[in-house]
Amino acid sequence: MNESDERVERLVRRAIGPLAGAELKRDLWPRMQARLDPPPVRVPWWDWALAAAVVLCLVAFPAVIPAVLYQL
Amino acid sequence: MTETAVDILEQFAGGDAVAFEELFRQYQGQVYGWIVRIVRDPAAAEDLTVETFWRIHRARARFDPRCGFGPWARRIATNLAVGHLGARRTETEFSDDAPPARARTSPPDPALTAEVRRKVAEAFGKLPAKLRAAATLAMIEETPYDEIGAALGISVGAVKSRVFRATRLLRKSLIGAGVEP
Repeated sequence: MNESDERVERLVRRAIGPLAGAELKRDLWPRMQARLDPPPVRVPWWDWALAAAVVLCLVAFPAVIPAVLYQL
Repeated sequence: MTETAVDILEQFAGGDAVAFEELFRQYQGQVYGWIVRIVRDPAAAEDLTVETFWRIHRARARFDPRCGFGPWARRIATNLAVGHLGARRTETEFSDDAPPARARTSPPDPALTAEVRRKVAEAFGKLPAKLRAAATLAMIEETPYDEIGAALGISVGAVKSRVFRATRLLRKSLIGAGVEP
Protein backbone atom coordinates (compact mmCIF):
# COMPACT_ATOMS: atom_id res chain seq x y z
CA MET A 1 0.00 0.00 0.00
CA ASN A 2 1.45 3.34 -1.01
CA GLU A 3 1.39 6.68 0.78
CA SER A 4 -1.65 7.88 -1.17
CA ASP A 5 -3.69 4.80 -0.18
CA GLU A 6 -2.68 5.26 3.44
CA ARG A 7 -3.88 8.87 3.29
CA VAL A 8 -7.28 7.66 2.04
CA GLU A 9 -7.46 5.14 4.89
CA ARG A 10 -6.56 7.77 7.46
CA LEU A 11 -9.13 10.19 6.05
CA VAL A 12 -11.87 7.54 6.17
CA ARG A 13 -10.95 6.65 9.74
CA ARG A 14 -11.02 10.32 10.78
CA ALA A 15 -14.30 11.02 9.00
CA ILE A 16 -16.16 7.86 10.05
CA GLY A 17 -15.29 6.74 13.54
CA PRO A 18 -15.61 3.14 14.72
CA LEU A 19 -18.88 2.19 16.38
CA ALA A 20 -19.11 3.37 19.95
CA GLY A 21 -21.99 1.15 21.05
CA ALA A 22 -22.14 -2.20 19.31
CA GLU A 23 -23.78 -4.02 22.19
CA LEU A 24 -27.28 -5.43 21.96
CA LYS A 25 -29.76 -3.35 23.95
CA ARG A 26 -32.51 -5.97 24.35
CA ASP A 27 -33.16 -9.67 24.26
CA LEU A 28 -34.15 -10.79 20.75
CA TRP A 29 -35.40 -14.21 21.85
CA PRO A 30 -39.12 -13.19 21.85
CA ARG A 31 -38.76 -12.13 18.20
CA MET A 32 -36.92 -15.32 17.38
CA GLN A 33 -39.59 -17.36 19.09
CA ALA A 34 -42.31 -15.60 17.10
CA ARG A 35 -40.40 -16.47 13.94
CA LEU A 36 -40.03 -20.11 14.97
CA ASP A 37 -43.63 -20.68 16.02
CA PRO A 38 -45.88 -21.11 13.01
CA PRO A 39 -48.89 -18.79 13.10
CA PRO A 40 -52.10 -20.51 14.27
CA VAL A 41 -54.26 -21.82 11.45
CA ARG A 42 -57.32 -19.58 11.10
CA VAL A 43 -60.29 -20.98 9.28
CA PRO A 44 -62.40 -18.24 7.66
CA TRP A 45 -66.03 -18.06 8.79
CA TRP A 46 -67.37 -18.95 5.35
CA ASP A 47 -65.49 -22.27 5.48
CA TRP A 48 -67.24 -23.07 8.74
CA ALA A 49 -70.57 -22.01 7.19
CA LEU A 50 -69.95 -24.23 4.18
CA ALA A 51 -69.06 -27.20 6.38
CA ALA A 52 -72.19 -26.62 8.48
CA ALA A 53 -74.35 -26.45 5.34
CA VAL A 54 -72.91 -29.74 4.07
CA VAL A 55 -73.52 -31.43 7.44
CA LEU A 56 -77.10 -30.07 7.54
CA CYS A 57 -77.75 -31.35 4.01
CA LEU A 58 -76.45 -34.78 4.91
CA VAL A 59 -78.56 -34.88 8.08
CA ALA A 60 -81.67 -33.64 6.25
CA PHE A 61 -81.22 -35.89 3.21
CA PRO A 62 -79.32 -39.03 4.32
CA ALA A 63 -80.25 -40.74 1.06
CA VAL A 64 -77.75 -38.58 -0.82
CA ILE A 65 -74.80 -39.91 1.26
CA PRO A 66 -74.17 -42.96 -0.99
CA ALA A 67 -74.38 -40.71 -4.06
CA VAL A 68 -71.88 -38.27 -2.55
CA LEU A 69 -69.54 -41.10 -1.56
CA TYR A 70 -69.81 -42.53 -5.06
CA GLN A 71 -68.68 -39.17 -6.51
CA LEU A 72 -65.60 -38.99 -4.23
CA MET B 1 -14.57 -26.50 24.22
CA THR B 2 -16.06 -27.93 27.42
CA GLU B 3 -18.02 -31.17 27.46
CA THR B 4 -21.23 -29.29 28.26
CA ALA B 5 -20.70 -26.97 25.29
CA VAL B 6 -20.17 -29.93 22.97
CA ASP B 7 -23.30 -31.56 24.37
CA ILE B 8 -25.34 -28.43 23.66
CA LEU B 9 -24.00 -28.26 20.11
CA GLU B 10 -24.81 -31.90 19.50
CA GLN B 11 -28.28 -31.47 20.95
CA PHE B 12 -28.81 -28.42 18.73
CA ALA B 13 -27.67 -30.34 15.64
CA GLY B 14 -30.14 -33.04 16.63
CA GLY B 15 -32.97 -30.50 16.62
CA ASP B 16 -33.30 -29.82 20.36
CA ALA B 17 -35.25 -26.56 20.84
CA VAL B 18 -33.88 -25.91 24.35
CA ALA B 19 -30.29 -26.20 23.07
CA PHE B 20 -31.11 -23.75 20.28
CA GLU B 21 -32.50 -21.25 22.78
CA GLU B 22 -29.41 -21.59 24.92
CA LEU B 23 -27.16 -20.99 21.91
CA PHE B 24 -29.31 -18.04 20.82
CA ARG B 25 -29.03 -16.40 24.23
CA GLN B 26 -25.31 -17.07 24.36
CA TYR B 27 -24.47 -15.77 20.89
CA GLN B 28 -27.09 -13.13 20.03
CA GLY B 29 -24.93 -10.31 21.40
CA GLN B 30 -21.86 -11.39 19.47
CA VAL B 31 -23.79 -11.87 16.24
CA TYR B 32 -25.54 -8.51 16.62
CA GLY B 33 -22.25 -6.76 17.46
CA TRP B 34 -20.64 -8.15 14.33
CA ILE B 35 -23.55 -7.28 12.05
CA VAL B 36 -23.98 -3.74 13.38
CA ARG B 37 -20.30 -3.05 12.71
CA ILE B 38 -20.91 -3.88 9.06
CA VAL B 39 -24.35 -2.36 8.44
CA ARG B 40 -24.07 0.53 10.98
CA ASP B 41 -27.81 0.48 11.61
CA PRO B 42 -29.05 -0.98 14.93
CA ALA B 43 -32.60 -1.68 13.74
CA ALA B 44 -31.40 -3.48 10.60
CA ALA B 45 -28.79 -5.32 12.68
CA GLU B 46 -31.52 -6.63 15.00
CA ASP B 47 -33.55 -7.87 12.04
CA LEU B 48 -30.48 -9.48 10.50
CA THR B 49 -29.56 -11.12 13.81
CA VAL B 50 -32.96 -12.81 13.98
CA GLU B 51 -32.66 -13.77 10.31
CA THR B 52 -29.20 -15.21 10.96
CA PHE B 53 -30.50 -17.45 13.74
CA TRP B 54 -33.49 -18.41 11.62
CA ARG B 55 -31.13 -19.64 8.90
CA ILE B 56 -28.98 -21.35 11.52
CA HIS B 57 -32.07 -23.11 12.82
CA ARG B 58 -33.09 -24.25 9.33
CA ALA B 59 -29.57 -25.49 8.55
CA ARG B 60 -29.01 -27.23 11.91
CA ALA B 61 -28.88 -30.69 10.32
CA ARG B 62 -25.80 -29.62 8.31
CA PHE B 63 -24.03 -28.19 11.36
CA ASP B 64 -20.87 -29.98 12.46
CA PRO B 65 -20.45 -29.52 16.25
CA ARG B 66 -16.67 -30.04 15.96
CA CYS B 67 -16.32 -26.82 13.92
CA GLY B 68 -17.76 -24.53 16.60
CA PHE B 69 -20.92 -22.47 16.59
CA GLY B 70 -19.41 -18.95 16.70
CA PRO B 71 -17.51 -19.02 13.39
CA TRP B 72 -20.45 -20.66 11.62
CA ALA B 73 -22.89 -18.07 12.95
CA ARG B 74 -20.54 -15.23 12.05
CA ARG B 75 -20.18 -16.50 8.49
CA ILE B 76 -23.95 -16.63 7.99
CA ALA B 77 -24.33 -13.22 9.64
CA THR B 78 -21.69 -11.71 7.37
CA ASN B 79 -23.36 -13.05 4.23
CA LEU B 80 -26.65 -11.53 5.32
CA ALA B 81 -25.03 -8.21 6.24
CA VAL B 82 -23.27 -7.99 2.88
CA GLY B 83 -26.57 -8.78 1.16
CA HIS B 84 -28.21 -6.01 3.16
CA LEU B 85 -25.51 -3.54 2.12
CA GLY B 86 -25.99 -4.55 -1.49
CA ALA B 87 -29.70 -3.87 -1.25
CA ARG B 88 -29.11 -0.44 0.28
CA ARG B 89 -25.99 0.54 -1.61
CA THR B 90 -27.19 3.90 -2.82
CA GLU B 91 -28.05 5.15 0.65
CA THR B 92 -25.57 7.20 2.63
CA GLU B 93 -25.28 5.07 5.74
CA PHE B 94 -22.59 7.19 7.34
CA SER B 95 -24.13 10.55 6.58
CA ASP B 96 -24.30 13.27 9.25
CA ASP B 97 -27.91 13.79 8.16
CA ALA B 98 -28.75 10.19 9.00
CA PRO B 99 -31.77 9.59 11.26
CA PRO B 100 -31.17 9.10 15.00
CA ALA B 101 -31.68 5.33 14.73
CA ARG B 102 -28.21 5.04 13.21
CA ALA B 103 -25.49 3.47 15.32
CA ARG B 104 -23.43 5.75 17.50
CA THR B 105 -19.89 6.17 16.25
CA SER B 106 -16.88 7.60 17.97
CA PRO B 107 -16.76 11.38 17.48
CA PRO B 108 -15.21 12.21 14.12
CA ASP B 109 -12.08 14.31 13.89
CA PRO B 110 -13.17 17.93 14.60
CA ALA B 111 -10.48 19.16 12.26
CA LEU B 112 -12.48 17.78 9.34
CA THR B 113 -15.32 19.93 8.07
CA ALA B 114 -18.85 18.54 7.95
CA GLU B 115 -18.67 18.84 4.17
CA VAL B 116 -15.61 16.59 3.94
CA ARG B 117 -17.16 14.05 6.32
CA ARG B 118 -20.31 14.00 4.22
CA LYS B 119 -18.35 13.48 1.02
CA VAL B 120 -16.30 10.68 2.55
CA ALA B 121 -19.51 9.03 3.82
CA GLU B 122 -21.11 9.33 0.39
CA ALA B 123 -18.05 7.89 -1.33
CA PHE B 124 -18.03 5.02 1.17
CA GLY B 125 -21.73 4.40 0.65
CA LYS B 126 -21.20 4.03 -3.09
CA LEU B 127 -18.71 1.17 -2.73
CA PRO B 128 -19.89 -2.27 -3.88
CA ALA B 129 -21.25 -4.24 -0.92
CA LYS B 130 -18.43 -6.80 -0.71
CA LEU B 131 -15.73 -4.12 -0.84
CA ARG B 132 -17.63 -1.95 1.58
CA ALA B 133 -17.98 -4.71 4.16
CA ALA B 134 -14.27 -5.54 3.97
CA ALA B 135 -13.29 -1.85 4.05
CA THR B 136 -15.60 -1.07 6.99
CA LEU B 137 -14.18 -3.89 9.06
CA ALA B 138 -10.56 -3.29 8.09
CA MET B 139 -10.29 0.48 7.76
CA ILE B 140 -12.84 1.76 10.27
CA GLU B 141 -13.22 -1.01 12.83
CA GLU B 142 -9.58 -2.13 12.46
CA THR B 143 -10.55 -5.79 12.64
CA PRO B 144 -7.66 -8.22 11.96
CA TYR B 145 -7.58 -9.42 8.34
CA ASP B 146 -7.70 -13.10 9.28
CA GLU B 147 -10.90 -12.50 11.27
CA ILE B 148 -12.46 -10.67 8.31
CA GLY B 149 -11.36 -13.44 5.94
CA ALA B 150 -12.89 -16.15 8.13
CA ALA B 151 -16.19 -14.26 8.33
CA LEU B 152 -16.33 -13.56 4.59
CA GLY B 153 -15.13 -17.06 3.70
CA ILE B 154 -12.12 -15.74 1.78
CA SER B 155 -8.34 -15.75 2.25
CA VAL B 156 -6.37 -12.98 3.93
CA GLY B 157 -4.95 -12.15 0.49
CA ALA B 158 -8.45 -11.72 -0.88
CA VAL B 159 -9.35 -9.42 2.04
CA LYS B 160 -6.29 -7.28 1.32
CA SER B 161 -7.28 -7.19 -2.33
CA ARG B 162 -10.81 -6.01 -1.48
CA VAL B 163 -9.51 -3.33 0.87
CA PHE B 164 -7.03 -2.22 -1.77
CA ARG B 165 -9.75 -1.99 -4.43
CA ALA B 166 -12.03 -0.15 -2.02
CA THR B 167 -9.26 2.35 -1.26
CA ARG B 168 -8.65 2.99 -4.94
CA LEU B 169 -12.37 3.49 -5.62
CA LEU B 170 -12.66 5.79 -2.61
CA ARG B 171 -9.74 7.89 -3.75
CA LYS B 172 -11.26 8.22 -7.22
CA SER B 173 -14.68 9.19 -5.78
CA LEU B 174 -13.15 11.67 -3.35
CA ILE B 175 -11.06 13.34 -6.04
CA GLY B 176 -14.20 13.50 -8.19
CA ALA B 177 -16.03 15.17 -5.28
CA GLY B 178 -13.24 17.71 -4.87
CA VAL B 179 -11.67 16.18 -1.75
CA GLU B 180 -7.93 15.63 -1.94
CA PRO B 181 -7.07 12.74 0.40
